[in-house]
Amino acid sequence: MILTELRTTTREFAQATGWEPKPEGLCRGEICVPAPGAVNADGSLDVAIAAARLGMPLVEDADHGVWSLGPATLSGKSLNTAVAADPELMNFDGSPFRLSSLRGKKVILVAWSSY
Amino acid sequence: MPGWQALNLEIAQYGATVVTVALDINAEHARPWHELGQATHPSVVDTLHATNPLFGFTNIPMAVWINEDGVLVRPAEGASIERNPMRDMEIPEGLPEALDKMLHAVKDIPDDAEAYRAAIIDWAKNGASSPFALSAEEVVERSQPRSDNEARATACFELGDYLRKTVSQDAAVSWWKEAHRLHPQNLTYKRQAWTLVTTAPGATENDLMQGPNDVYDSSLVAEVSGDGGFLQFIVRPQL
Repeated sequence: MILTELRTTTREFAQATGWEPKPEGLCRGEICVPAPGAVNADGSLDVAIAAARLGMPLVEDADHGVWSLGPATLSGKSLNTAVAADPELMNFDGSPFRLSSLRGKKVILVAWSSY
Repeated sequence: MPGWQALNLEIAQYGATVVTVALDINAEHARPWHELGQATHPSVVDTLHATNPLFGFTNIPMAVWINEDGVLVRPAEGASIERNPMRDMEIPEGLPEALDKMLHAVKDIPDDAEAYRAAIIDWAKNGASSPFALSAEEVVERSQPRSDNEARATACFELGDYLRKTVSQDAAVSWWKEAHRLHPQNLTYKRQAWTLVTTAPGATENDLMQGPNDVYDSSLVAEVSGDGGFLQFIVRPQL
């Protein structure tokens, strides 16, 4: 997740990382991590606090005034939960696509590339 | 891609579908292959490599299986479904050294294609009762390790791509080098970077050899012609 300040909206954070604020903390699937102080009263999210709680590295490029937030390392595995992420992808005609549009079907998601 | 299209037609009757996702920072690079495949299944592009950390893709082809409720029943693993024809090709004498090394490295890739394809069909037919469908706990446990270094590599790759788009292609290089250093087994991050510097300007297809270059310290030829070959980058399916 690319950031130009260490504050974002909970919605943008959830879209980029899959971690959503709930009363129990920051949650993804059945996993919830208490994150006191991460969510502010105005609905904004303190990225540094959330990153620390979720074990997400923050990398800064000071010359360009930008940070990049890496994925959570909580479980020491690439997956923290078996609940499939649902990023917004793009059809080749430019329209958006989400895996959740295929609920009710078994899906084999295959990564490939032109290189 | 035609192989996945054929498999999709075979499993559609069981309420299953293939979704192919191109990990390509430029959709136009992937478009010719997409059009060649004439897919009737969803065929999408991930220009941010967002699915890489979200599912654990580190190479291609890799796949995850997702059940009707949106729950993974297999983590990311190597997903070849057709025997690579280069495996059976006799390598002629006198080829350029780099090409000769590459062809020998391809021959050494383990061939799990037939078993993996059969496993997909079994799961499509039998769902949760298939022996290849894993529990949620097994899926997490079998997913690839992610240390701080590997997570940091993802942040560096994304930062490099952002700077490539907003500043210049050169601005990506130091961050992509760092991503390569932090997660050396992530071949997707490497090949995406190498191909941008080894593909000739104006070429209609990406350079697949990705040989030695003046920008990165490594190259595909150098990495796969060593002791580890392609195997060091492959997550073999545990069927």
